[in-house]
Amino acid sequence: MILADFGTSYCKFLDLSSPGKGPVLTPTKDIPRDLRVDLATGHNGKRFSEHYVNELTALARGGEELIDEDEYVLLDCGSRDIKFVAYRNGELADMGWNVECGASMGFTIELLERYYNLDYDQLPVPDRTFSVTCGVLGMSHIFDAVSSGISEAESVARFVKGIALNAFRFAGLPDTLYLSGGLCDNKLFTQSFPCRLVPLGRFVLLKGLEKIAEERF
Amino acid sequence: MAHTPLNKNSRVGIVGIPPLDIIRHLNAVGAAIFDLDEPIVKVDIETAAPHLPRVYCAILRTAVINALHLDLDAIYIDVGPGKCDCALHVSTIFKDIVSIPVYPCRNTDTSAYGYPLSRTRMSLMEKFQKITRGVQSAKPYDLQKNAPCKPVAGFWGVPPRDFSLFELFPDRTHVYGWTRCMENKTPADTALESYFNPEVPTVFFSQSFCAKTALAKFLAAKHPKGLYLDIDVGCSSSAKAKIQAFLELSGVPYDLG
Ligand code: SF4
Repeated sequence: MILADFGTSYCKFLDLSSPGKGPVLTPTKDIPRDLRVDLATGHNGKRFSEHYVNELTALARGGEELIDEDEYVLLDCGSRDIKFVAYRNGELADMGWNVECGASMGFTIELLERYYNLDYDQLPVPDRTFSVTCGVLGMSHIFDAVSSGISEAESVARFVKGIALNAFRFAGLPDTLYLSGGLCDNKLFTQSFPCRLVPLGRFVLLKGLEKIAEERF
Repeated sequence: MAHTPLNKNSRVGIVGIPPLDIIRHLNAVGAAIFDLDEPIVKVDIETAAPHLPRVYCAILRTAVINALHLDLDAIYIDVGPGKCDCALHVSTIFKDIVSIPVYPCRNTDTSAYGYPLSRTRMSLMEKFQKITRGVQSAKPYDLQKNAPCKPVAGFWGVPPRDFSLFELFPDRTHVYGWTRCMENKTPADTALESYFNPEVPTVFFSQSFCAKTALAKFLAAKHPKGLYLDIDVGCSSSAKAKIQAFLELSGVPYDLG
């Protein structure tokens, strides 16, 4: 049984019939149009599968598997959206999904690294930040800052920190935040959060699908 | 109560819920009633842009389009505590853009009709269709019909512009908020509007740019299992996914209906 999380920039696959073989990551642009999987989630998932699981449900189920606590907040930062689930007493207490204002944040962060030829692992967390609610609008802050003489690296770092703070507020300002998604590997981003951060990596939704597959099939 | 001679050939638009005296009069003369809050005329909502800002309640943008395109003889618009200030300002605009009498009114009716549909087992879509249609009549309800059921989910709020989100709810969803007041024929009853059932997972809905967003958000935070949601013109796929995940993760049993 093949499970897949079809994201905007990357797709993640897990073959349950090959235990021991871990998940596989593939850029979305390389996915053949006629690909079919057994159970899918993610932005593009419906096109590639008969059985589709809502992204928030997959995130929540993945969190239940990976987080051994009764109270927690789990935030997923994707290429085009941000979403979170908050649990209290082992039950869902709050949730949110921001596609409109969270638009393109992850995508923009990746784009900027390549455009300005930066390495996020080497950039220090800046003291100052931009107020960023949307990736696209945030770009204009960078251009303004660069034209006012601030270095490209510092401007981008302020932008990345602004995105982290915005995501933190969206998740309800928790003391500890579990993070899901590709941005877990971005040191500048993860260190920009003003709380304890626990990165869970980019396969949390896939873990959720695994749990759902066990329950349903 | 009525200001202009109306008869069975008259076509009258209503916005919000005019007082029962007006509805009784319209029913007595046999006038056809058009609920301008609903999308009746199928034209792009952007055609309301010359008259109302784009960032404005989609229900009232819809009412403007209906008023412009339906061949009406008069409009009654509730501008009192049973509706909102947005409607008050739209009544001023109506007077400028249509050449028929526009009668602002204030519904402060307190005679409670009951709200059997809000609590019965029926598809949420059908429930809302019946409740909103009920505005056009002053007849008391047959309270023997539509027995109450035990709820598994709740929907709080005004009737949305886009009913498609109701497909996601089970039949045993109880209706709260202004829609319950609407069925009860007491649209200004803020105590009834603020009531919710903490036992059932509830979606607290408001139209975007409506003052009720504040109450919806406040009550959702008070409710042990509440989801706040505001939607503008149409229900996006992410809004639907949010509702679906909320109900699913709150353990709402779909299969039980
Ligand atoms: S949804 Fe709110 S703003 Fe719109 S008409 Fe109703 S009460 Fe007024």
